[in-house]
Formats: sequence, structure tokens, C-alpha cells
Amino acid sequence: MTITRKQFLQVAAGAATLAALSSSSVKAAAKGKPKRGVSLYSYTGDFGVTMTLEDCLADMCDMNAEGLEILANTHIDGYPNPSEAWINNWHALMAKYKIKPVEYGHWVDSRLHPGRELDAKESYAMLARDIKLANRLGFTVMRTKLGVIDDTLTPVKNWREFIKMALPDAQKNNVRMCPEIHAPTRLKSKMIDDYVEFIEKEKTTPWFGLNIDFGVFQNKPRRDRRSQEMGSARPFEPLDKADDMIPLLPYVHVCHAKFWDMTDELEEATIPYDEVIAMLTKNGWDGYMLSEYEGPRDLGAASDQLRKQHVMMKRLLGEA
Amino acid sequence: MLEKELIQSRGFKNVSQGGKVIGFQVPFRTSYYRGVWLSLLKPATVTVDGEKFEGAQITWTIGGKTYAQADLAKYSDVNWPYLEPAILTVSKPGGLKLGIHEVELTYSYVASYIPPDMDSKRLVTSKRKMVLAG
Repeated sequence: MTITRKQFLQVAAGAATLAALSSSSVKAAAKGKPKRGVSLYSYTGDFGVTMTLEDCLADMCDMNAEGLEILANTHIDGYPNPSEAWINNWHALMAKYKIKPVEYGHWVDSRLHPGRELDAKESYAMLARDIKLANRLGFTVMRTKLGVIDDTLTPVKNWREFIKMALPDAQKNNVRMCPEIHAPTRLKSKMIDDYVEFIEKEKTTPWFGLNIDFGVFQNKPRRDRRSQEMGSARPFEPLDKADDMIPLLPYVHVCHAKFWDMTDELEEATIPYDEVIAMLTKNGWDGYMLSEYEGPRDLGAASDQLRKQHVMMKRLLGEA
Repeated sequence: MLEKELIQSRGFKNVSQGGKVIGFQVPFRTSYYRGVWLSLLKPATVTVDGEKFEGAQITWTIGGKTYAQADLAKYSDVNWPYLEPAILTVSKPGGLKLGIHEVELTYSYVASYIPPDMDSKRLVTSKRKMVLAG
């Protein structure tokens, strides 16, 4: 697929804001570059044990990591019905640590009832509830995790139906639903073709798009202890190259900056971050890269690894 | 705050009803990185010093409410919060003796985004040497 830069900018800017863009602001957008953030999933080994929600936000603030991803079912007290007091405190914390809510991680639990899959109406109800809550907390993107039906992670058969039902809700609440493209899924695959076909046919931009997890770019075997324990050290074949993502950029509203193993040389041992960030920058992609640390969950490991990763990303982005 | 281990020390104790010890409690935090709906949980087993308890011998208490294991599947709208240990109450007249016990717990949960075959095979096992002090 080939698109012109102008077409790309139009799609990336989104239908809702397009009319407001003058030619000079389009030019400014072309100079955009990726922004940094953190998914609190990274702190799984520490959260609730040695770190509170506020500790995680303070840690991010140290790295000037502005964009935030939470997992709704993990980080919202009283989910799915947090108290007014909790929500007020949430907004106060965002201001205190200069953090922007970016991505709201949530699940359409298709196997919620034993023995059958959710129908489209039930799935929509689950989605609609999260869309409203995401908006109340200030999020503009959602990592919409869909149920799968096979080993290649093919989504449930009725996904088109309930996503279409939720599009007006997403627009009304200014959130972009994004399934995560995660290894072993490849960037050149039927799954991606199906998503792109749906996005184009139903004109879902920007309310339904993609989250690309940088784990797809892994090109070296992992050495970290967790990979040995889980028996998942080798990269998936065929290897995805950074440039393979270019045709998808108009539909990518956020990325997971997946990593497992930051070395003391401040490089990721298995993912070519230099190539990925160069590709995003060259193409003017200006969404958030949200760090997702998935290495060993030893106490303190996440903070140490995130700090190293953000120094690397600052260097690659010309911020340091 | 939670203890790092799955099985939690705080709350590990005998339970009484009407002046009689009717069993003991094992609190544990979720091994999953998110809170889950109760209908996504699969039954737990508890083994203490080689004695195994399962099925109707165990109830779950979450958010102050107690559920029979067989009923968990009905509660698709009740969330087990990530930061709250679930309390397993095990029926054992007379309870456990004060002192050290080897406690092993198994349970599982459904994750719809994992390939169905792999998802159905998951079993979480956690073992901890515990001290019963009351």
C-alpha cells in the first residue's frame, strides 16, 4: 500500500480535527516525533508490594515520562465503579506529577461465562462501560484486548460487529480503540490485513486503530531469566523489520515500547530500538511509545530497567 | 500492602463459629496481573502437610462476601480487586495446630486473549511454609 504524505497526515490527524487544520499546522505536524510514556504494567512485580499508584507516577516523573497507560482492572480502585473521591484524587495526581493519561488498558473477556463466548451485545456492553470510564479519567486511547480463538491469536469471530456498535461511543467520548498487535502475530499477516480492511471499509479512523507492540521487532534471543522460565527466548519468524510498520502508521495511535533486557550500555539486548525510533521519527509519527517492561519481576527491577530504557529513548529522540 | 508471595501470612489463622474451631483461612493474592471477574476463576485446592482440601470444603471471600466454589461462575459482574487478597476458608473441625505448616495452593483463571488450548491448561501452584499463630 502506498500513500502520500498528505494522505498520511490527514488520516493520522483524524477526521474530527482535520477541518480545523490550516496548511501551516499540517506542516508543523510533519515535524512531530514520538513521545515517551510508561505502562504501569511494567511495575507488576512491585505494585501493591513496595509501590503504590502514586509511587509509580513519581517514578515516571523522574524520567520525564509524560504518557501513562494503566490497566483498568488493576489500577483503578473500585473498578468498574470507582468513587468520586478516587477520581478526584486521580486528576490531582496527574497534575502533581505532570502526567498525561494516554492509554486505558482493558479487556473484552469473551470467555466470561464458562462454556460459551460472549455475544456481540454483551461484548459491546463491556466495551461501552470502559469507554465511559476511560473518558472520565482523561484517556484518549484504549488498548482493547480481544478474546482469541486459535494459536495464531485470531480474534473472536464477532469482533467486527461489536466494534462497529461501539464506534459512536468512542467518538462521543474521544477515545481510540486499539487492539494490540503482539508477537507471535507478524506485521505482514492475515490478521493485519483483516484489521486494515475493516478500518478502511468502515472508515473507523481515528476511533478504531492499532497498538503495535515493539516485541514484534525482536531479532535476537532473549537472555533474561523470565524468558528461560517461560521457554520463550527466541524471536518469531519471519523477523519483522522496522520499515514493515510504515504502511500501518496511519492507523497506529499508540505503541507499546516492549522491552525485557536493558544492558548497562543502555541498549535493549533483543529489539533494535535505534531502527524503530529512526523509522517513526523519519515518518513524523507523533504518538506515544509506552514502555512495557516484561523482564524478571524482582523487586526494584522495573524502576531500574525503565530508567535505563528512557535514557536510551531520550538519546535516540535527541532529547539528551 | 501485599506480601510478595502469593500466599499471605496476615490472615492465616483458625476460624471459629459458636465457640468452636471449624476450620482455617488461607489468604492469597492473585497471580494474574489484573483484577478478574469471579466467573473467570477456577476452583482452588489447599493442601496442608499433605492433607488435601477441595470443592465444597473451600469457600472464597472477596469484598466481604463469601462464595461457594461452585457458585463463582455465576458472578460475572463481581470483580476480585487486584490489591485485595482472596480469603479461602477451609472446613476442618478443630482447625490446624499452632506452629509451622507446609501450605500448598492451586487455582486457575481464564484469560480470553490466550489461545484456548494453552489457557485451559493453566494451573497456578504456590507453596509456602506458614506459621499458624492463632
